[in-house]
Amino acid sequence: MNRIREWLAERFDLEGMLRILRSKTVPHHRYSFVYLSGGILIFLLAIQVITGTLLLVHYRPGEDTAFESVVRLTTQVPMGAYLRSIHSWGANLMVFFLFSHLFSVLFYRAYRPPRELTWVGGFLLLVLTLAFGFSGYLLPWNQLALAATKVGTDAPRALGPPGLWVSLLLRGGEDITGVTLGRFFALHVWGIPLLFFPLLALHLFLVQLQGMALPPRIERERNYEYLPFFPNYLYRDLVVWLVVLGILVSLGLLAPWPLGQKADPLAPTPEGIKPEWYFLFLFQTLKLFPGNILGISGETIALSIIFFFILVALFYPFLDRDQVRQRPVAGFILRLLPYLAFIYVTTMTLWGLLW
Amino acid sequence: MRLKDSLVSRRQFLSRLFAGWLSGLAALLAYPLVRFLGPAEEPEPAFVLLPAPDYLAIAPNSTKIFPWGHKMGIFMKASDQTLRVFKGVCTHMDCNVTYRPELHRFHCACHDGWYDEEGKNIAGPPPRPLERLDFRVKGDKLIVYSPGATLPPEMEA
Repeated sequence: MNRIREWLAERFDLEGMLRILRSKTVPHHRYSFVYLSGGILIFLLAIQVITGTLLLVHYRPGEDTAFESVVRLTTQVPMGAYLRSIHSWGANLMVFFLFSHLFSVLFYRAYRPPRELTWVGGFLLLVLTLAFGFSGYLLPWNQLALAATKVGTDAPRALGPPGLWVSLLLRGGEDITGVTLGRFFALHVWGIPLLFFPLLALHLFLVQLQGMALPPRIERERNYEYLPFFPNYLYRDLVVWLVVLGILVSLGLLAPWPLGQKADPLAPTPEGIKPEWYFLFLFQTLKLFPGNILGISGETIALSIIFFFILVALFYPFLDRDQVRQRPVAGFILRLLPYLAFIYVTTMTLWGLLW
Repeated sequence: MRLKDSLVSRRQFLSRLFAGWLSGLAALLAYPLVRFLGPAEEPEPAFVLLPAPDYLAIAPNSTKIFPWGHKMGIFMKASDQTLRVFKGVCTHMDCNVTYRPELHRFHCACHDGWYDEEGKNIAGPPPRPLERLDFRVKGDKLIVYSPGATLPPEMEA
């Protein structure tokens, strides 16, 4: 061990790098548990990469092979059903913890200067993660996936010609066919990762550069101390990862992810289908709007509003400035926005789940 | 802290317990991955059934190929009408061999290995003769089986 260390140290500044690791500190206060959410996401991402790579070994994209290869994977390949289940549940947990991560950053206002770009990057990572979920969902080529992808790729059409173009581009034609499956596969395993990982690297780099943000009240009260990351916080991370792993493996084994029927473009859509829970709040929003409002399609209005709020969320750190906060009406709305968003997303999701 | 007459201290005991638990956990996590990537269990078949007339009718000093699982099998009728069945895989490095009727020999093109018409290695790198398969004819079926395989009763002669 020592000889390896010496060999490396002769070649580059090993001590300097280790010093950075040793000198990294994390503020410790009564809300510091929220710092764990980012680490959980990294851990789940690693699991997705490993299980995804393994699934790729047996998956065969294509109208006539995709469903069959997943059937073979789950029934013939040793541990295939387990790894597929872990990959699906892992994706769900990842989205769940992403939303927790996002709302904890919102509530504790960690996006404030100088961390605006960390927020923007993180929000884009959320969008890409949802794109991962959406594209991966089609790959088994089952009925539910076909229906969900139809609705999902139809939605942009309500936004006029550019939306129609996006829809056609995603589908690779008017309908969802093997062509769509091909591009979703390419996006899921290569296209999205190509954008995701550099963005993640930037996100993490900025976090290391600027250190952990302090909640405003803790900062005002000066009610915190710094603890070393290594080993104190690393151990906390590891313990939480172990718990998450336990939850993931339990879900994967006790609630194996279903496969369903092979997609049939001519079959009627199954009754009462819903998108995955993380798209439910959008789905419910679309259902709220009537077909026609003052001669404009309700869907167009709903999607325009959704698109508007996505832009507000993306640039929220630039809106939440002192000049705006001090104005009576604008400041009030701005302060209320994260809480309203949380209440809206949770009630809409629960509504979608329970009714 | 170490109790009187104890071989290990409490710290040592706990670290070893922890290390053991950790390696157990690692093994549990690694097992599915190894199994998933492990070789697919597709052993060679115990026997294959072929349409006998197609094979028995070939000219003397010629061969006919059949699938022996995922490997090549060679059915051969020698110049003296003797029937032989081989696994058509070179014993050197697994290449498929061909029969060269004009030489009465099997040839492996990969490293220029030669076998005589009884499958005996006679030139080049092959270390062993070609593997032989047993066969029998029952009705219009040619049953090719690995030596020593037990056939289902209805296939016994």
